[in-house]
Amino acid sequence: MARSRIRLPLAGAAAALTLSLAGLTAPAQAQQPVRLGAIYIMSGSASVYGQFAQQGIQLAVDEINAKGGILGRKVEFRIEDSQGKADVAIQAARKLVFQDRVDALIGIDSSGVATGLVPVMRELRRPLIITHAATPDATGKLCNRYTFRISVNVNQNMKGAALVAAETGGKRWTTIGPDYAFGHQSWEYFGKYLKEIKPDVELMKETAFPRFGNEDFTPFINSIMAAKPDGVLISVWGGDLVNFVRQARNLGFFDRGMHILMNVGAATEVLSALREEMPEGVWLGTRYWFNAHDNEMNNAFVEAYLERYNTPPSYNAEGAYAAVYAVKAAMEKAGSADPEKVAKALSGLTFRAPNGEITFRKGDNQAVVGPTWGQAAAMNAEYGIRMLDPVRTFKGEEVTPSVEETGCKL
Amino acid sequence: MQSFIAALLNSLDIAMLLFIIAVGLNIIFGVLNIINFAHGGLYMLGAYFTYTLVTRLDLPFWPLLLLAPLAVAAIAVAMERLVLRRVYGRHVTDSLLLTFALLLIIDESVRMIWGSGIHTVRPPESLSGNISFAGVSYPSYSLFVMVAGVVLLAALWALFNRTRIGRIVRAAAIDRDMAQTVGINVPLVVTGVFAFGAWLAAVGGVVAAPARAIDPGMGDRIIIESFIVVVIGGLGSFPGALLGALVLGLIHGFGGRYLPEVNLVLPYIGMALVLLLRPQGLLGREAAA
Repeated sequence: MARSRIRLPLAGAAAALTLSLAGLTAPAQAQQPVRLGAIYIMSGSASVYGQFAQQGIQLAVDEINAKGGILGRKVEFRIEDSQGKADVAIQAARKLVFQDRVDALIGIDSSGVATGLVPVMRELRRPLIITHAATPDATGKLCNRYTFRISVNVNQNMKGAALVAAETGGKRWTTIGPDYAFGHQSWEYFGKYLKEIKPDVELMKETAFPRFGNEDFTPFINSIMAAKPDGVLISVWGGDLVNFVRQARNLGFFDRGMHILMNVGAATEVLSALREEMPEGVWLGTRYWFNAHDNEMNNAFVEAYLERYNTPPSYNAEGAYAAVYAVKAAMEKAGSADPEKVAKALSGLTFRAPNGEITFRKGDNQAVVGPTWGQAAAMNAEYGIRMLDPVRTFKGEEVTPSVEETGCKL
Repeated sequence: MQSFIAALLNSLDIAMLLFIIAVGLNIIFGVLNIINFAHGGLYMLGAYFTYTLVTRLDLPFWPLLLLAPLAVAAIAVAMERLVLRRVYGRHVTDSLLLTFALLLIIDESVRMIWGSGIHTVRPPESLSGNISFAGVSYPSYSLFVMVAGVVLLAALWALFNRTRIGRIVRAAAIDRDMAQTVGINVPLVVTGVFAFGAWLAAVGGVVAAPARAIDPGMGDRIIIESFIVVVIGGLGSFPGALLGALVLGLIHGFGGRYLPEVNLVLPYIGMALVLLLRPQGLLGREAAA
């Protein structure tokens, strides 16, 4: 007797399951949440970038859910650690897609990770919105119909840097950058654009590419100072940039009247660590600066972010926040969360982000956006960081190369 | 000539910090026969304690040189008594895995307590300027790092060669059973040595704090460098830690200055050469058959 009692509910459950599989799939799915997967550096020395991204996503998801979600469905997200390594990121992406069944992916902090993951997107068949990694290849020679980038890439940032550098009047330029794709490509594109604008500049042979995670930059700083350049492009980032600036200060690097451009110097992660030690007057680049955009969405975003996290949003927070809204806009345009339809909707999509109206260009899926460059100015006591003044935000059209130049064939 | 002197000073600066870390690693290996991966984590804790006490609580830097490492040594006592003790006598890979796990635990705890942000500590006022030396202007804090390394080196040498405690520790390192038989409390010595090694790692962390960015990856970075030092110099060898640190310091200092293209691989080439030609390290003992 006892046995049949157990069997009865089981049979009922099986019947219900069969029924739902047969006919009830559609309404059941409408109740399913929209799932987003995020991949950032969540451990180790650059984990502060991942933390900002996570906060940006959380804020966007909570805002969207408070207003009824996407297509009436709740939004959920799951974040995985890339450890800054391509193979780890690819595994994380597979897990998010095949196990957690996410509808779209956002993330990627490093160019090295991007070059590894982007080709895998054809196999994963989910839209991926890159919010940080800057290698031109991701929307250039490696481009595919699933991969989009909402953030400024190396070409765009270096075109802005070259325009700033050209105005300084410096003739002899060199670089200090990390010894991987980002450092080398930044120098390559900076040189190319600067030569186009001012053919008489000299791109020096004496460059320095210390290893990423190098802690003592003194020998490299001494080499560059001995070469007596007029201007230096510095692509070192994160904790490395903090070390670099403090050691360079000690050695008098900033007292020589050289024009200094720091590729990603206006990262709030770095500015809050350095505080007054970031020298005044150096040019700092960033993909986004929180008070460089006077529009309704940005004002609301910065206010909400400050309220919740007690710190102004870094560029990585903004990129991740904007990407969630891009996914929302694409799903609403497609009328569905189906990955193929969403990928199609994203291409050529124009949507609103804190840094203005943004379009994913049809030819290469790169957002037509420009970097912000500004000179390090007075401290803001409340945020504990130096502000930018003057600050200059380049228009996307001004700095984005043509699709033909990117080498992307979609 | 000036650039040569600058590179030399820089090499010594890097070498002395590496020596402070690697010598602790070697002392622990000598007595406990374990390769302590968590050493990087203990170094990191020293730096984070310094950050909290100097930048947050506005305490002066100098007393911390003693205080912060003592706190880390206390943590090390707990680690040894509660965890490490269970794997003595097993294969060396067991303790390697265990200490690696401890490193991961310390890494994550640091992230949970202090967050993933990047922090800095200002050097004490008296050492925040530059000193001119043979026509080269060099940060006085870096010179302090060198002096601290040399003082520690002398103190350690005296401790191991001139004191009763040093003789006891050496006896425990050479033959544990015999030491036990002649009345040495070996378990106490073992705990003491581990705590002392941790204290050294934390001293390194305090010394490094004003010179380097403090972030959750700093422990992983230093442990890799320290292992290179130990492989080059010889595992378990006290003079080996010094020689290995000097070799790696010179590779970084001069390689970065004069051979920037190949600087990245130089430490590994050095390590590979030593492993091929003298697997026990430059000053290491031949492995017992």
